[in-house]
Amino acid sequence: MELKFKYIKGDRVIWMVTFLLAILSILTVYSSIATLAYKYKSGNTIFYLLKHVFILGIGFGMMAVVQNIKYKYFSRLSQLALFIAIPLLLLTLFTGANINEASRWLVIPIINQTFQTSDLAKLALIMYLARVLAKKQDVITDFKEAYLPLIIPVVAVCALILPANFSTAAMLFAISLFIMFIGRVPMKFILATIGLGIVGILLVFAIASVSPKLFPRFATWKKRIESFEKGESESNYQAEQAKIAIAGGGIKGKGPGKSTQRNFLPHPYSDFIFAIIVEEYGTIGALVVIFLYLVLLFRGVRIASRAERTFGSLLAIGLTFSIAFQAFINMGVAVGVFPVTGQPLPLVSMGGTSIWFTCITIGVVLSVSNTGLLKSNPKKASAK
Amino acid sequence: MKHLEDRKYIIGAIFVVFALIFIIRLFYIQILSDEYAIFSEDNVVREETVYPPRGLIYDRKNKLLVYNEASYDLMVVPKQVKSIDTNAFCALLDITKDDFIERMNKAKEYSFYKPSIFEKEISAIEFASIQEKLFAYDGFFIQTRTLRKYSDSIAAHVLGYIGEVTPKTLEKDSFYTMGDYIGKSGLELQYEKLLRGKKGKRYVLVDVHNRIKGKYKNGEKDISPQAGKNLQITLDADLQKYAEKLMRKKLGSVVAIEPKTGEILTMVSSPGYNPNLLIGRAIKKNYPKLAKDSLHPLFNRAIMSLYPPGSIFKLVQSAIALQEGVITPNTGFACNKSLVGCHNHPYARNVREAVKMSCNPYYYQVFKRLIQRGENKNIFIDSRIGLAKWHDAVLKFGLGHKLGIDIPGEKSGFIPDVAFYDRWYGEKRWAFSTIYSLSIGQGEIGVVPVQMANLAVIMANRGYYYTPHFIKQIEQLDTIPQKYTFKHSTGVDAQNFEYIIEGMEAVVNEAGGTARRAKIDSITVCGKTGTAQNPHGEDHSVFIAFAPKENPQIAVAVFVENSGFGGTWAAPIASLIIEKYLTGKISNPQKEKRILEADLIPKSEHAQRK
Repeated sequence: MELKFKYIKGDRVIWMVTFLLAILSILTVYSSIATLAYKYKSGNTIFYLLKHVFILGIGFGMMAVVQNIKYKYFSRLSQLALFIAIPLLLLTLFTGANINEASRWLVIPIINQTFQTSDLAKLALIMYLARVLAKKQDVITDFKEAYLPLIIPVVAVCALILPANFSTAAMLFAISLFIMFIGRVPMKFILATIGLGIVGILLVFAIASVSPKLFPRFATWKKRIESFEKGESESNYQAEQAKIAIAGGGIKGKGPGKSTQRNFLPHPYSDFIFAIIVEEYGTIGALVVIFLYLVLLFRGVRIASRAERTFGSLLAIGLTFSIAFQAFINMGVAVGVFPVTGQPLPLVSMGGTSIWFTCITIGVVLSVSNTGLLKSNPKKASAK
Repeated sequence: MKHLEDRKYIIGAIFVVFALIFIIRLFYIQILSDEYAIFSEDNVVREETVYPPRGLIYDRKNKLLVYNEASYDLMVVPKQVKSIDTNAFCALLDITKDDFIERMNKAKEYSFYKPSIFEKEISAIEFASIQEKLFAYDGFFIQTRTLRKYSDSIAAHVLGYIGEVTPKTLEKDSFYTMGDYIGKSGLELQYEKLLRGKKGKRYVLVDVHNRIKGKYKNGEKDISPQAGKNLQITLDADLQKYAEKLMRKKLGSVVAIEPKTGEILTMVSSPGYNPNLLIGRAIKKNYPKLAKDSLHPLFNRAIMSLYPPGSIFKLVQSAIALQEGVITPNTGFACNKSLVGCHNHPYARNVREAVKMSCNPYYYQVFKRLIQRGENKNIFIDSRIGLAKWHDAVLKFGLGHKLGIDIPGEKSGFIPDVAFYDRWYGEKRWAFSTIYSLSIGQGEIGVVPVQMANLAVIMANRGYYYTPHFIKQIEQLDTIPQKYTFKHSTGVDAQNFEYIIEGMEAVVNEAGGTARRAKIDSITVCGKTGTAQNPHGEDHSVFIAFAPKENPQIAVAVFVENSGFGGTWAAPIASLIIEKYLTGKISNPQKEKRILEADLIPKSEHAQRK
């Protein structure tokens, strides 16, 4: 038994959740990949299945490696990561691969793999915030000493992501605020930031409507928000098709691989994967998925409570929060509670960068739990 | 990390709330609302247009003239066409493979997802065999349409035809969609809005194999079509058919009107065409043929051809002159052939005899008195005053302007006025001597046949007419358009007409009359011949008449191109029509036979056609 868990350290529940999500991911991606397979690989779905399994495998490998790193090193690493991420974001913005008029991807030379830089930036920023918050706990109410060092990287990173990917920028901004909130930043600063954020967004919209070239995605944002506000279901093909998928699933679902809406939904393997899950596995499947992400979040809170240092605590809660938050955004879009955005369902949606960075994120959380457990559970430590 | 305790649970709570919202939302979509469930099962709701039956047209005796016959369009949705046996399919439709590819490309060009017409107007018999095998061809389905049919194949110019709506009309009128039919001429065009009805919509659920699974939402969104309104028209189908028969192998037109109402009983333009040539698919083949024909069968001479009226115009001259008091019923003029040519006949002692013998010099004198009344010493100015008065009086006879009949394309004809001659000759550079040809209906005067028939109506009614029209009754409506019940007066007293009518009676019934061939033993026909000079060939023959003399039931104008003197051909044709209408039979089969056998189409035209 012990041998079996040789590589599985830290919180076993999180491991379990991750594993279940990965299984679900393989099943659903394989079911919904057909259109893509026919478009690019003349119907070779196996190619995509293997690629996806391979990516998940690498991801789990990364997770297993990262969890062994003592989390105190992430403090320094986060600084480094942020310094790498910001130039990369700039590079992406100006030279990135353009998919649907959004420059979100960098093509990594040699292995020729597209890479969404915002995923790296997101992880780097959250870890960096945890670092600064931990360091400034004593002067946390001071505007100049604590607030500015926190908010400047947040604004910088979000501003660089925003032109190509509004929803990720907004989401990262919200996550940053939540982490600052947990890190005891005074409410007046947070509320003021929210206010400024809204003003900033309005400003962006104003600029975009005057010179649309600066924000090529502006038309899409506007349309999505407007059609969501008006409840114009007809104008919003994707949301409509997602609802049809959900309605078709019923309580028990149509069964694995039985989705029909996968042929009508754009990106059934990423943005709208939750709709396919509901169609195939029904409300029961949906409840399980929601439950898994909630478990992940609450384990994160638990780990945070047990962590011996503020940095670890903030890391655990901030990172699990970011995963759950993104998952809820994705599910909310599928059920029509939020406007259409392109957020993948963490760990479940197909896509290399997203899966890998989610795995690394979980690895970091596990590392925190690992350290915490070693302290609080000496029995286990000795058993090793 | 105690200091974090207070805040982190808030976040947990928020997530739980959102989880609950999602679950409620799922519950709503799946169970409370059935809007999406239908789609998830069948995936396609197809909107089908339900075409209303076009209004039918009946004649005055309620005989069906125009009706609808079912036809079927084969529709295709290119996106749904998958791996079909093209060869078998082509054989089924009797088309070539190239046809198939071409039509598919055309359909794809229009839309991959929307149905477009693959094969039009499949007959009921063809449909039966296609229907049986259609299930094997995904993406194809049948849409039922109706074809217009014209019973007896008569009155093509009056009834008109329908054809596919043009892109121009599509832009202007949102009622139509591509491929719809619309009235193109005649009554079909005039009463399009009444005849077309209102289109309906039907929503059906279709599965992936294009099989209809049933109504969408139990048909609650369906809109049932409203049938077009049926029309009863004034035409007498039997008379129309007979008149067309008489006019065969002749160029010209026949118009018969019921004087008391202005109802048009018959309108023939010869040569005509079979209205059933211009229906559905056949129109593409037949229309160009008809349009190219040198005898212009598509052209409705009865309302579109301008002719000089010739001697029938003497009736108008007589009436105006009597009313203006420039002559009395007993004014006589010598037949002075130095003024204007005439045939040999006795001296016309009064209006009656002038009409009877159609004396040209007589009307030269009459017209001179009308134009040069001595109101000014300068004959040029005097002529201007006279012509202006004459022009106004003539217009009241329904000449020189459109009558306003209810088929499109009517020409107004032309009655010259002061301005016209001023432009032509210069101001004060013309007088009676310049324009005297008008006195006998020649010169710069133009009248369309329907106006000639209306002139016969005015004679029959002794001075008034109703705008000639075809509409008799519109389904569910009590009235016909007001302009067809308005009485137009000529401003000439009824008494003055009596003298002229005496003459018209003599034309037909007395020795020395110009239209003895129009005589019917049992009926008193009153008529007037005319010969319109034709610079291009043989003169045109014209005859207008009404009968019986007292309480007239029918007024008719017959115009036969290139047939010479009015009494020879036009008069007997008119009399046959009158007799047929009033008695239902022909007492003189010899007269009928002569007309039926006559070929009055000029030989040059015959040669040209070959």
